[in-house]
Amino acid sequence: MNLQLTLAARYLAGRKLRTALTTLAIIFGVLLIFGMNTVLPTMMAALQANVQGAEGEVDFSITNVTGEAFPAGVLDRLRDVDGVRAMAASLNRTINLPPDYVDGDPSHPDTVIAINLIGVVPEEARSLRAYPVAAGRYLDESDTASAVISQTLADAFSVDVGEIFRLPAASGMTGLTVAGILPADIMPGNEEVLVNLPQAQLMTEEPGKVNLIELNVEAFADQARRAEIQAAVEAALGESYQVGTLMAGDEMFAAMEMGQMALSLFGVLALFMGGFIIFNTFRTVVIERRRDIGMLRALGATRRTVLGTILAESLIQGLLGSVIGLLLGYLLAVGIIQVARGPISMFVNVQMGAPVFSPVLVVVSLLLGVGVTVLAGLIPAWNASHITPLEALRPSLGEGEFNRGAGRGFTVGVAIIVLTAAAILSGQAALIIPGGILFLVGLVLIAPAMVRPFASLFGKLTAWATVRGGIGGLAESNLTRQPARVAVTASASMIGLAVIVAAGGLVSSLTGTLYDLMQDNLGSDYLFIPPSIGLWSSNVGASPSLAEDLRQVDGVEAVSTLRFAATNTNGVAVSLLGIDPVSFDQVSGLDFIEGSESAYGEIAAGRNMIANGSFLLSTGTKVGDTVELLTTDGKVPYRIVAAGSDLLNAKVTTAYISQSNLQADFGSTEDVFIQLNLSPGADRAVADAQIKALAYDYPQFRVISGADYFASIKSQMDTAFSAIYIVFLVLAFPSLIAMLNTLTIGVLERTREIGMIRAVGGTRKQIRNMVVVEALLLAAIGTAFGILGGLYLGYVFVTGIEVIFPLGYFFPYTGILAAVAIGLIFGVLAAIIPARQAARMDVVAALRYE
Amino acid sequence: MSLVQTQNLTKIYGSGSTAVTALDHVNIKIHDGEFVAIMGPSGCGKSTLLHLLGGLDTPSSGKVFIDGASLAEMRDDRLTELRRRRIGFIFQFFNLIPVLTASENAALPVTLDGLKPAEAAAKAKEWLARFGLGERLSSRPDQLSGGEQQRVAIARALVAEPSLILADEPTGNLDTRSGDEIAGLLRSVSKQYNRTIIMVTHDPRIAAYSDRIIFLKDGKVVDETLLEKKSNRNAQIVADRVKEVGD
Repeated sequence: MNLQLTLAARYLAGRKLRTALTTLAIIFGVLLIFGMNTVLPTMMAALQANVQGAEGEVDFSITNVTGEAFPAGVLDRLRDVDGVRAMAASLNRTINLPPDYVDGDPSHPDTVIAINLIGVVPEEARSLRAYPVAAGRYLDESDTASAVISQTLADAFSVDVGEIFRLPAASGMTGLTVAGILPADIMPGNEEVLVNLPQAQLMTEEPGKVNLIELNVEAFADQARRAEIQAAVEAALGESYQVGTLMAGDEMFAAMEMGQMALSLFGVLALFMGGFIIFNTFRTVVIERRRDIGMLRALGATRRTVLGTILAESLIQGLLGSVIGLLLGYLLAVGIIQVARGPISMFVNVQMGAPVFSPVLVVVSLLLGVGVTVLAGLIPAWNASHITPLEALRPSLGEGEFNRGAGRGFTVGVAIIVLTAAAILSGQAALIIPGGILFLVGLVLIAPAMVRPFASLFGKLTAWATVRGGIGGLAESNLTRQPARVAVTASASMIGLAVIVAAGGLVSSLTGTLYDLMQDNLGSDYLFIPPSIGLWSSNVGASPSLAEDLRQVDGVEAVSTLRFAATNTNGVAVSLLGIDPVSFDQVSGLDFIEGSESAYGEIAAGRNMIANGSFLLSTGTKVGDTVELLTTDGKVPYRIVAAGSDLLNAKVTTAYISQSNLQADFGSTEDVFIQLNLSPGADRAVADAQIKALAYDYPQFRVISGADYFASIKSQMDTAFSAIYIVFLVLAFPSLIAMLNTLTIGVLERTREIGMIRAVGGTRKQIRNMVVVEALLLAAIGTAFGILGGLYLGYVFVTGIEVIFPLGYFFPYTGILAAVAIGLIFGVLAAIIPARQAARMDVVAALRYE
Repeated sequence: MSLVQTQNLTKIYGSGSTAVTALDHVNIKIHDGEFVAIMGPSGCGKSTLLHLLGGLDTPSSGKVFIDGASLAEMRDDRLTELRRRRIGFIFQFFNLIPVLTASENAALPVTLDGLKPAEAAAKAKEWLARFGLGERLSSRPDQLSGGEQQRVAIARALVAEPSLILADEPTGNLDTRSGDEIAGLLRSVSKQYNRTIIMVTHDPRIAAYSDRIIFLKDGKVVDETLLEKKSNRNAQIVADRVKEVGD
């Protein structure tokens, strides 16, 4: 092994505790990045499997660009395309089943939580796929309410050939007779229910329509021939159609990608903190080894050799930390998927398999982990290579140099902080958001100069508290002896704690604003809620007759419904919601960012729409612009007359148009969400009974009173927010490592001094207290910085969200309390190991320590 | 022929009113194979002179010539190479790398020079065996006594076969017996392997092992004494000279 690697490995092994602590920082960052990027793709893969399971082994699948259903006659355009061997059109819809729908047993989660309803023309479908019926028979043209299902599904519903099972449908509860049973499905994905096309069109309220054409090309077609056939198919269909995979689930992929980005960001932040910790360690390492390094130089080691030795050390640590991080990250992903399986299936109908991870992710995680470590080691390594042989033989440390460096940093840092404060005052999101990062940088820069004043301020407190211990002053001066190291540690803790305070700011602002909004948006007397809220396309709704029937109920004053169509503008997927302009305002309402309630009149008057913030942001449009929305028949222009959003759709790119326009341009009449209000004098008991009776045939909806829904959402939100706190607490973990690392280094460095204090009569307890007080001072400095940084960062989060959603800033008292508590607890925790180490030191050995 | 020569070698630390002249126009010549001790009171510039001779520090004015080549003209890379191949260092505090074994420590200069590990280890073993450490090859520094550690350091100084050995108080951290052993070892190295050794010491008994003693005071050469070979009286002569020159 070469000298650099030998030295690196031996030095690392020689300081096991410090190596472990430093490596821990890397492990943690890589673990987060790898783990989180494994969990979400696993969910996505599950979703994709559900989608693709429906697709099977066909050569091409054709859908409308919008993802919506289209006339069945489109198939005829392909009849004359050369090279197409067989084709079939079908109508595919995922039907989310209400909880415990299949077995009716709440104590036992259902194995089947969603099914794919597939309407086919029996003989056409058979030309593409084999349906080896194990019992009963295959579908016949004349069948109406008959279905072919798999053995698995038959078992789940406990039905046999000739028996009836019931499914929720837009037309109300529908019974289907089992005509035949296919062998148990081995492909991943939802269970399929095969029915005749007209039956499916009836159940989904889409008469005459299909949403998928599949075709197989002539046998033995090579790549070029297939491309030729594909081009011919595309030419025959026009630009409204696409050849490829099914597009369903786009909205969900987008939401998950957002989540993945956020979590990756946490991982990067954690690695960033890890970088600080490593930087600190290596700087200490270099100071500690000045004599060794100088000696190497005296013996003829080149600067490059010295640089290489320190970098080899960081490389080994980076690799070690990253590999362990990868392994633990995988285990974390397995754990999360196990735990999350139940709760997640309540919100989204996805069944998850084993964790899925890509080789690219492994490589990226490794590169990030190793890269950050090597980068953090670079400056100390460079410094080491510039130690002259002579410097090493003299016992001096450049204190003057530190003061000059700290002074320069302080000036630049103060300038940055003043600028970012000005950004806040300007109120411009474009200035405030980058200001958040700059503000943290400013704090990092002023940190070295602030260590002494902060330490002396908090030191007075601890000196007062430990007046009898006789060690308070010693702890303070020990800490300020290495202000640069303390500053780096405080910077690492600062980032961790700032995120907690910022989260507090976000949570207090969100709760403050959202509870008001919920009263406005969802404050109606009754709500009909589908299984997937916000991801409308996966829900089976109800035909307009349900809303009509509800309007006839005694005591019902107004009924408002939401209808859904998927569309696309300039390549951006848009969730289009149809509202009834009159009743929507009576029962629910939007919060306008720009414009007012008069916009409801405008969307009734023509092709006008109200866009939400996310729409404006992702399409780069503004109120007054006209956008082209894609329909199954081509593009239609819509003018944006106002900007506003409701609670349920805030995070999805959404536009609101009138239901009559939705029907005319997008052919959608299905209600996916229903709200209603009772008149003031209504007999509530009677109305309640009638509403619930009507709802009986539509088990796809959960019927709940507005007050109950508010309470359930509030408790869900509270749970979610505490989960946010836990996530951020995890993120603060590296600050614990940073403090532990710094204290351990400090104790090690002062071994001889501690031995001396013990020799002249210091008790173990005094030594222990000295380290604890030092830890508390260190934590206090980090926390003070963290609170400052967190307040700004919180404001940045809120400003960022305000771009798409109206939100007020609420001061995060809880977040600050949490940060103080976590900071102090971490301080004490960080002191445990070093304090024990210091107190148990053998006096004679300590005095001899070099 | 002189292996080492200085020309008006001057070193001033600091500037203005706080300037301290550590070396003041020092002119010395040291011949091939000579064993020279540099003596003088604390702060007289002994160590500064040694550092300048080894190219560890740069003079304020004047020149150092090793084998006729001026160090002033050499860039860091050349100086580093010179130290690696032509000069061996021995320090008061041994300065062994704590995480390397005796053999690895002794092999450092040739390892740094790119010699194959097996050959480097063989060379180190050879020197360590000559100094009676053949059984301690795998011991770490903390497992060795002070005298043993210094013998490892001497093996390290010799492993690259340099013509010049610079020793800064090599016995300063050792007891009398070990000190005598080390000084004797240096003398035999000088004679047996024809190495030029320049040793800084303040101990007359140790200086007595050398061929010639250069006395420094206030940065200037104030006296030179040649010693007779292998005389028991040498130590006394040196002690007397020290008194005369003044502590």
